[in-house]
Amino acid sequence: MISIPNTIEGAFVLSIIDFLLSFFIISGIGVILALLPLVNRFWKIDEAKLRRGGH
Amino acid sequence: MIDQLSAFSKILLGQTGLGHFWWGNLLMIIVGTGMVFLAIVKRFEPFLLLGIGFSCIVVNIPGSDLILPGGLFHYAQQGVALLIVPPLIFLGVGAMTDFGPMIASPKLVLLGAGAHLGIFVALILAKMIGFSITESGAIGIIGGADGPMAIFVTMKLAPHLLPQVSVAAYSYMALMPMIQPPVMRLLTTKAERQISMGKIREVSRLEKVLFPIVIASLVNLFFPPVAPLVTMLMLGNLLRESLVVGHLAETAGGSVLGVMTLILTTAIGSTMRADTFLTVQTLEIVGLGLIAFVFGTGSGVVTAKIMNLFLKEKINPLIGSAGIASVPIAARVSHIVAHQENPKNYLIYHAMGPNLAGVFGTAISGGILLALLGMK
Repeated sequence: MISIPNTIEGAFVLSIIDFLLSFFIISGIGVILALLPLVNRFWKIDEAKLRRGGH
Repeated sequence: MIDQLSAFSKILLGQTGLGHFWWGNLLMIIVGTGMVFLAIVKRFEPFLLLGIGFSCIVVNIPGSDLILPGGLFHYAQQGVALLIVPPLIFLGVGAMTDFGPMIASPKLVLLGAGAHLGIFVALILAKMIGFSITESGAIGIIGGADGPMAIFVTMKLAPHLLPQVSVAAYSYMALMPMIQPPVMRLLTTKAERQISMGKIREVSRLEKVLFPIVIASLVNLFFPPVAPLVTMLMLGNLLRESLVVGHLAETAGGSVLGVMTLILTTAIGSTMRADTFLTVQTLEIVGLGLIAFVFGTGSGVVTAKIMNLFLKEKINPLIGSAGIASVPIAARVSHIVAHQENPKNYLIYHAMGPNLAGVFGTAISGGILLALLGMK
């Protein structure tokens, strides 16, 4: 496994990779959230029924 | 006779804490009193500062046995160190939180990553002043403004820094209403601060039920190092959104969260003993934490301004700073600053989107840090 060196350069490399990867991954979450409303076309939850059946 | 009385007095004095009292204790008692003052008089996050401040005062009175094995503060510290308390805090937070604003505004989740530049600025600066790379990672995560996540990552990367990191993270979270507004105003024009945002779409129950299941699955698949926290957050949220276990959701978001907050704040405050806490290293970490919060706030605002270059419907850049996490404090600060500029502007719901995304942003950053530094 390639490890991050315990140096200032290592800190820069770690930070840059982490920052960019965070953007990429959170964009992925954004895409999933943008697609989430599509489920409403296929299925609907009867909220009133859920509330009635709740404890 | 006088000799006997003198010896007797010395023994008595030795049994009290007075003989061991030094200026460091006095300083920390003043710090703790300041926190209690801010909590009660200024109403600055009393849920955090009251417990931290009070236990800080108590443990700096020499002779207090509460932090020794057998004392309750000791067991509170164990609950934090063994990573039992942070996931249970997240369970309660999930049960209290409506993720609707985040689900309704997918584009705003980018602010949850944008507002985390502070993590990396602090990380690099910590390395520059001589901390190891793992210690620097733990210090950097203060900038994620997410207490349980800061504790979790620190326990994996540099457990010996837990007192300093947790105190810095929670203190700055509580002080966000003081730290953030000047940075937000500095980086925005009056016109930008007055931008009103349109109504957010309504999120269906089905989406709200699917959200925690999808996110928990993804996090466990891609970020196992931070999965325990996010999984509990999502479990709490599922309890809430399913509507079928109202009692469990209320218990998780009420009693469980209350008890865990009490344990966490006393545990953190009780680590602030003068003899171990008053070091140059602590000052460095506290300073770096402040830098992390300032840069995180600033980078969130700047990210929102960059997004505005591409968006038809402009967003108020003040909601960018909410991406730093610290739910719901940062969202409230965004709302208050915008409301001061334009009394008709109610940004709280809009700011909650990036604010909640910030929780995931911190988890992702922390997960990547742990993975890149070879921690499990």
